[in-house]
Amino acid sequence: MREDWLRNDRLPHIYCAGCGNGTIMNCVLEAVDKAGYERDNTVFLSGIGCSSRAPGYIETDSLHTTHGRALAFATGVKMAKPSLNVVVFTGDGDIAAIGGNHFIHACRRNIDLTVVCMNNHIYGMTGGQGSPTTPIGKTSTTTPYGAVEVPFDLVDLAVAAGANYVARWTSYHVTQLTEAVLNGLNTPGFSLIEVRCQCPTSYGRRNKFREPKDYMDFLRSHAVLKEKWERTAKPGEELPAESFLVGEFVRRARPVMGVADET
Amino acid sequence: MKLEIDESRCKGCNLCTMVCPYRIYRQGNRPNRRGIYVPELDRPERCANCRLQELYGRRLCGICALICPDQAIRWVKEKPYEPMNVVIEY
Ligand SMILES: Cc1ncc(C[n+]2csc(CCOP(=O)(O)OP(=O)(O)O)c2C)c(N)n1
Ligand code: SF4
Ligand code: SF4
Ligand code: SF4
Repeated sequence: MREDWLRNDRLPHIYCAGCGNGTIMNCVLEAVDKAGYERDNTVFLSGIGCSSRAPGYIETDSLHTTHGRALAFATGVKMAKPSLNVVVFTGDGDIAAIGGNHFIHACRRNIDLTVVCMNNHIYGMTGGQGSPTTPIGKTSTTTPYGAVEVPFDLVDLAVAAGANYVARWTSYHVTQLTEAVLNGLNTPGFSLIEVRCQCPTSYGRRNKFREPKDYMDFLRSHAVLKEKWERTAKPGEELPAESFLVGEFVRRARPVMGVADET
Repeated sequence: MKLEIDESRCKGCNLCTMVCPYRIYRQGNRPNRRGIYVPELDRPERCANCRLQELYGRRLCGICALICPDQAIRWVKEKPYEPMNVVIEY
């Protein structure tokens, strides 16, 4: 039962009402439980940010490290003791801004980690500054007239850098997300699961998604199934504005590091 | 099994009202002691998990509990059903 993994003395957590991070934590714990992991050989790691507080609510050994450096610490844990199962929680600012280099090199090395990126398009914890994934035109405290920079696509980045498993879902697609995390856990090598989620406090409030439900509706209506899109899209057809693909993008068997019997 | 919202955890985000196929959760309209509008349950005994978990021996559906960001939704065991002897007086 995933409830057994929670530190009940620490709950309720500090997340705002309707924050997607809590949902994602549920799905990851459900997957970890389904994968048959034991609490004694599972380690959760994170950097800094709202998303990165998740390991503090889970009853296993965990490392709450410095901003952007979760993957560096995770690499250390995994190389020192490859028999451990290592899961990393990270935010979009954490993995794509300050930790961008750690991210691409962890993908390149293909270290056996499962990374769950809670992408709320913003620096949530510090009050809503724009991040490398803030979509064009969206308001944040550092983009008061709308963001003008082209955002990173974390999935493309991970695929290009060499990760073995890459998927994207949202905090609305809880069953598919659980399934994807489970696949990530079971794939040797680097797995990235990007989860688009709502931050009603720092992002929603400034972008006409006042209630958590409003952003859920957006996620539901703008997530396009990758498989379906590939079947039905006409050659050269572009995705509708603001829509994004969800599904499994890559599952392959490139050489890996940090797997118990190969090191 | 009985469906329950833990009022000490729920933050009233109403995400559960979006997902239940039976529409068991309804937006609350009375604040509790902490000022939170906890959703109301509309005939929760209809929930698939309440009815069939014991029969199947595993959790069924459970989408509401998975999406609840505050881990506030749970099922509690009910006392087994005991047939009662009804005394009919003539
Ligand atoms: C080295 C360093 N730089 C900056 C900060 C300030 N800081 C704390 S959290 C954060 C942003 C976190 O954003 P994200 O990773 O997107 O997580 P979220 O809070 O949105 O879940 C920043 C910049 C810090 N703690 N350490
Ligand atoms: S600021 Fe945003 S990301 Fe942080 S807890 Fe609140 S809703 Fe969640
Ligand atoms: S388990 Fe399913 S049917 Fe039961 S209350 Fe939750 S969402 Fe509704
Ligand atoms: S999803 Fe959970 S926290 Fe939100 S209103 Fe429902 S029971 Fe409360």
